[in-house]
Amino acid sequence: MKDESDAVLVRRVLAGERQAFARLVERYRDPLGRYAVRMLGNAADAEDVLQDTFVRAYRSLTRCRPDDFGRWLFAILVNRCRTHAAQRGRRNGILRANQHVVDAAFVSASDERDALREAIALALERLPAEQREAFLLKHVEELSYQEMHELTGTGIAALRMRVFRAREELRRLLAETIRG
Amino acid sequence: MVENGDDLARIAESLREPVRIDPALDARVMAEIEALPRQPSRLDSRGHWLFRRRTFRLSPMGVLAMAAGLAALVLVAGRVGANRAEPPGAATGPPVEDQAAAGGPGQTTQFVFVAPDARSVSIVGDFNDWSFSATPLEQQPGDGLWWVTLSLPPGRYRYAFVVDGTRWRKDPNSPAAEDEFGRPNSVVTIGGP
Repeated sequence: MKDESDAVLVRRVLAGERQAFARLVERYRDPLGRYAVRMLGNAADAEDVLQDTFVRAYRSLTRCRPDDFGRWLFAILVNRCRTHAAQRGRRNGILRANQHVVDAAFVSASDERDALREAIALALERLPAEQREAFLLKHVEELSYQEMHELTGTGIAALRMRVFRAREELRRLLAETIRG
Repeated sequence: MVENGDDLARIAESLREPVRIDPALDARVMAEIEALPRQPSRLDSRGHWLFRRRTFRLSPMGVLAMAAGLAALVLVAGRVGANRAEPPGAATGPPVEDQAAAGGPGQTTQFVFVAPDARSVSIVGDFNDWSFSATPLEQQPGDGLWWVTLSLPPGRYRYAFVVDGTRWRKDPNSPAAEDEFGRPNSVVTIGGP
């Protein structure tokens, strides 16, 4: 049963078996959660957006190609993360972790690996949202530029530039943190 | 540790590490789903009923002629008696007339998009919280035209179309605007000068 494909589960849900959707939630909770946490910077917001994503997906499941469920679901998630980030940005102003927060996190981390992980997460949060999104799609989700273009509607040249700038900025921020 | 040629690989490797989300999320999702009144297909059908055309009928021209005739792809016409874009929860909400009374008068606006090979098209924008699922377009059978009629209060709205749930498309015949992510959108002004 664990090997049931997405397409089979989607068809079962569409046939009226709601509980089959729970299998899809379980299957995609962590993979999607990784993107949401990286994009939004904290687990609480990520869980809110994930819940919203799954429920929206359920409600519009008839518009999904069953064998394309994963990609379709991820597209909803990316969109919800954008909306959430934009709303949060309007509420709170531009989201930027300030330097003393970065430093504090760096110092408090118990070993080098944790320190690097934490410094990367905080540097990522300091990127402009569109650069963070492009970097994650390219280097973490490992999408092609064509796939990124399909997903975001942004031109490939612009996406390449965002990824380039994100890489440069991440390097600079991390070097600053490490130099202390 | 980030000063050599491996820095990008190390950053990416760190960010690719699995994230564990609280499994209790599954129960919350399913509880919300179980509280929904209908199965997806029936919800969807109800959504289609909400957005069924009432105000306009497209003439039986070919795709190109219709696309040309609808050159703006956004027509602002008349008022009253049209449908209104709402978040998904609105599928079970009050009748359109009640919503308009509560939220003030809207103007009937038709959005049209040509996508002969699409399986689905939806519109996302400031008016529906950029939801992929809230506002599906209907297909004019056989000609690749997709459309929806909304009742929008006066204002300036950014919007775009989403084809097959994944491909983002601006309206090529409306003024362009970018959102916070620099994503290409279009703009329609309702009731403006």
